[in-house]
Parts: sequence; C-alpha cells; structure tokens
Amino acid sequence: MIKLGIMSFAHMHAYSYATAIAQVNGVELSAVWDDDVARGKAAAEQNGTKLIADLDAFLKSDIDGVIICSENVKHRPMVEAAARAKKWILCEKPLATTIEDARAMVELCKKEGVGLGTAFPCRHVPPLVAVKNDIADGKYGNIYAATCTNNGSYPGGWFADEALSGGGATMDHTVHVADVLRWMLGKEFTHVYCENGNLIRTGIGTDDFGALHLEMEGGVKIQHIASWNRSKSYPTWGDVTMEIIGEKGVVTVDAFNQKINLYNDDAMKAQWVGWGDNSDLGLVQDFADSIRERRDPAASGIDGLKAVEVTVAAYKSAKSNQRVAV
Amino acid sequence: MRLGIIGCGVLGKFHAPCAVKAGFSVVACSDPVKENAESLAAQYGAKVVNDAMALCALPDVDVVAICTPTPYHAAYVVEAAKHGKHIFCEKPFCRTLKQCEEALAAAKKAGVKLFVGHVVRYFQEFCAIKQQIADGKVGKVGTVRTYRGGQSPLGEGAWFRDFEKSGGVTLDCIIHDFDWLRYAFGDPERVFAQDLRERIDEGIDYAMVTFRMKNGIIATVTGSWAHPSGFKVLVEVCGDNGMITFDSREAPLASQLRGDGGMAPGVVLPASPVNDSPYYLEWADFKGWLDGKHEPRVTPEDAVWAVRMGLAAIESAEKQQPVTF
Repeated sequence: MIKLGIMSFAHMHAYSYATAIAQVNGVELSAVWDDDVARGKAAAEQNGTKLIADLDAFLKSDIDGVIICSENVKHRPMVEAAARAKKWILCEKPLATTIEDARAMVELCKKEGVGLGTAFPCRHVPPLVAVKNDIADGKYGNIYAATCTNNGSYPGGWFADEALSGGGATMDHTVHVADVLRWMLGKEFTHVYCENGNLIRTGIGTDDFGALHLEMEGGVKIQHIASWNRSKSYPTWGDVTMEIIGEKGVVTVDAFNQKINLYNDDAMKAQWVGWGDNSDLGLVQDFADSIRERRDPAASGIDGLKAVEVTVAAYKSAKSNQRVAV
Repeated sequence: MRLGIIGCGVLGKFHAPCAVKAGFSVVACSDPVKENAESLAAQYGAKVVNDAMALCALPDVDVVAICTPTPYHAAYVVEAAKHGKHIFCEKPFCRTLKQCEEALAAAKKAGVKLFVGHVVRYFQEFCAIKQQIADGKVGKVGTVRTYRGGQSPLGEGAWFRDFEKSGGVTLDCIIHDFDWLRYAFGDPERVFAQDLRERIDEGIDYAMVTFRMKNGIIATVTGSWAHPSGFKVLVEVCGDNGMITFDSREAPLASQLRGDGGMAPGVVLPASPVNDSPYYLEWADFKGWLDGKHEPRVTPEDAVWAVRMGLAAIESAEKQQPVTF
C-alpha cells in the first residue's frame, strides 16, 4: 500500500485528488497537513483520514509521498521540507511563480534523491493522449501551427492575490497547454508575445485574460488564450481546446467535450455534465507508480520548470509589449 | 441604376442577383476569361465588353462593380471615378495603402460614391451579437475572439495562393473580422500576428492575430486556409456580466449528398437560409446611399482602415514584433 499525504487544501484540486486517491487501488490517503488547521481538520474528516497539525510530525510519519496543493508561492518551502524528509512529491501547477524557485526545487529534489512531479492531469486525458499518439505516428505529418485555449471561470480567493498566486489567468491557464504542447510535439518554446490584463471582472487585482503568441523549436507557431472569462451562467467551468495544423491535415480537440447537456430548473441555466474519464485517477496512479519505481512522475519537476519559463516570459512580454525569448 | 460588372468569376456571379434585387440592372460585363463575361451577360441581357477600362467609360453605365483579384481594384476604381461612375468594390479595398489612398483620392475628386463590400457588417448573426452588446446583455466587454476559415481557395490562375496578389488569409479572409471588430469596438491600438504564408503555394495559410483595441479590449482572430475541407466561423464575446458565443456549424440545415454532386462524397454542407442574404443587404444599403436616403454602413475610410489592419498584421507576422497604429 502506497501511503500518501496532502499538504494544504488551499487549492480546490486537493479535494478532487483526495477523492481520486480513494478510488485508486493500492493507494491510501494516510494523513493531511495544512497551514490552515481548521481547513485541514475539515478536509481530513471529509476524507476519512487524520490531520497531523505539526509539519515535522507529518513529514516524519510513514507516508511515502505528498501532494502539495498550497497557494502558488508556498510551493517552494513545502516542496523543500518534503524533499528533506525524503518524501516523493507531486506539486500542484504552476510548479512555482519564478524560474529561480522552480529551479531550486528541481535541484533540491535531485540532491535529496526524491521524485518531483508537476500536477498536469492533461497528460492523462484520453482525447489529448489520442492526439499525441497520432502525431507521434505521423498521421498529420510535420506540425506547423496550433491555436489553443484554456478558458476558465474566475476562481476568486487567493488566486487573485498576486502576493500568493504570483499572477492571474495568464499564469494559471498557460501552464497546462504549454506542457501539453511540449509533451505532444517534443519541442521546447523559444519565444513568447503576450497581451494581457484585468478585462472581465475589473478590480480583482490581477490579470484575468492573456492572449499569447508562442514559437517552438523549428518555428512551430502557437496562439494560446489563457482566461478566466467564462461567465457564471456559462454551462461549464471552461475548456482546453487545440486546433493543430499539420502537413497532412488538421486536428481539433476539445479535451473535455465528453458531456451530456443538463437542463435543471433549480440551476436555471444549462449545464454540461462530463462523462469522460477522470484524469485525476491517471495522475494519482502515475504518482503511486513513480514511488514504487523510484522515478519522477510522468510530468516531472523539469516539465513544471519549463512551463514556468513560458509564463515568466509571457508576463515580461506583456509588460514590455515586445516579443521575448524564453 | 445601370451596373457594369468587372470580374465575372465566382464573386461577380454571386453579386449580380443581389444587385438586381436591390434595384440595379446589369448592363455590361467584362472578364479576361470571356466565357465568364458571356454567361453572366446572357443571364441579364447585358453586353460583353472585352476591355474593362472601356466598360468604365460607357455612357450607359452608372455604377461599376469591381469583383476582380485584389491587385486590380485600384486601377479600376481610379478609371471608373474618372468617368464619374459610382463604385462597388469587393474587399479588400486594395492590396497596398498607397493604392487605397490613390483610389480614395480619385473617388473624392470625382465626387462619386465608393462602397467596399465588408459584408460581415450585414450578416444577421453579427448584427445580433452587436445588438446584444449594445443592449448591455454581457455588461462591459473585455475580450473578443473570432475564427474564420477552412479550405484554401484557388481563384483564376490560383491567385489566392499568390501572397503578393491576395495577401493570404489575413488580407483576404479575416479582414472581414478586422473590419467588424473596428465597427463594433472602435480603433485598434496595436497588433501582433503569426502566419504560415510561406506555405501558401501548398494551399496552406493560417493566421493568428491579436489586437489590443484603444479602449483596452483584447481581440484575437484566427484565420484558416489550411483545412482539407469545410468552413467555419466562430465568435465569442466576454463581458463582466455574460458571454455571447456563435458557431456557424450549428446551422439549421445540413445536407450530405450521395454520390459526389461536385464535392467529395460524405462532406456535410451546413446552410443557414435567410429571406434577405447579407450580400443583398449590402447592395440595398449602397442603393439607399446612392438614392440619397441614408449614409452607408461601410464608409470608404472604414475600408482603408480594414486594409491598414490587415497590412499591419502581415507586417507584424514578418517582424515578429507588435505593430502600433
């Protein structure tokens, strides 16, 4: 049995990871820790596990690995504490808010001999896996360009506080697609141009929309939209979409468009109910396997760092109105 | 109002019945491909004029419609204006800003009315979107996204696939969106773009464009001439109190022909019939302007602005830096 702990429930994904842990064979949520003790206690109760309120005691317990779901700026100290305690680590994305932090986290984990992963569940979404495999098989020939979106609803709370999040939608919703593109095409990003701003819910204190133009090795051209612009009345949380232009054809993927339409009179809005596979199960399964096999998770700390490099360049570009090198 | 049509290919044939419905009579047709001019002329009992410049001088022509490849627009506008003819010109107005200026100056000097066919301003779905925004249904607009395109067109002599002539998907296709964005949201501040123009002769062009408008709105436009088949238009407008989305694939009709019917078997053709086609509506607007009833929805200055936006996007894609207006 692989014993996992969750560090912090600040990010709502912690709750869905806890649910996934309960569903994956050979894995259990043996303890949680949270710098917000009340939140940690409630989460522990909700998920039928125990809270260890003292960080040292939590890290000295018999857990094999931790999933870190704190506010973005706290990822580094939590990863460092877990690495020194020789725990395997899966960290919520973005891995860090600065390149310096991300690099330090990767290096420390390497030094301590522990695996470090970044929570990029898109790598476990079957429609995206299918596109990746088709590209690898040469179905579309050389890839020339892509238009991508990662739209979302406004998450509120600390996400809009740059002192805790490090940035807004441009950061939150660029890293998934940046990772998917690197994973699908096997190329690194070279340049970024970005226009962004606080355009939808004005006055939230951070950007809620970013329009990016990226270039990858070999001159692959990418347009990406990172947003929190879905309205409250929109039928779902958001999307991950890609239209990929290749030598032999075009493929469009709407990663979560496996849904039924629900019209419920209590909600008084149309709702999309997804029936596709839960990618969190794949994420947790891979993390458990990485602990058993003493390797990095599928999306490693380096992959997290590469995505951070793109967001950092995007903010630099948005500030200077110039295309910048990654 | 007697109309002479220069360029009787796909668009000339398409415009003729719309112009007739709006109250014009087709009296002269010219096309370097003689069969094109002859078949259109026969349909309306018009005469065929081999030399398009001579058509511009005909005393029994009141209005000249220019439906040629883009690089020829300016010369015909200048000639038609010289002879005091009013002018309908297909978009894009011209291939270069210098041509735009010359053509516009000629029309102004001659005191003739010049209308450029930015037909998207007349599409019912785009009107509905603009109306909902004006009615405050999405609150204050922050972001806009449009998508237009599909298969790469060829045109006579494959001129669409010659970037010097057509300006690619950016200047020929998504100029529709550029014009509509400016119509709905005001002037742009700067633009950044990427494209695949280097593959245009393979039948592939794809443009990805971001405008920062003067009022702060960020508008992204994607244009495709990269698809093996099909065509789609997408629009998304997000505000602080709601969103609007449109997808042309959600059409009321979808036909799929057994056998080829001129298309590859199995291709689904969506259709969205309306009583008044937007192409008729633009001709009716032009007619109303000529009759002194109202100002046109598209002014010549709007048409120059659309070319300016298209050329700035092309310049940005070349330099890989933003271009400020």
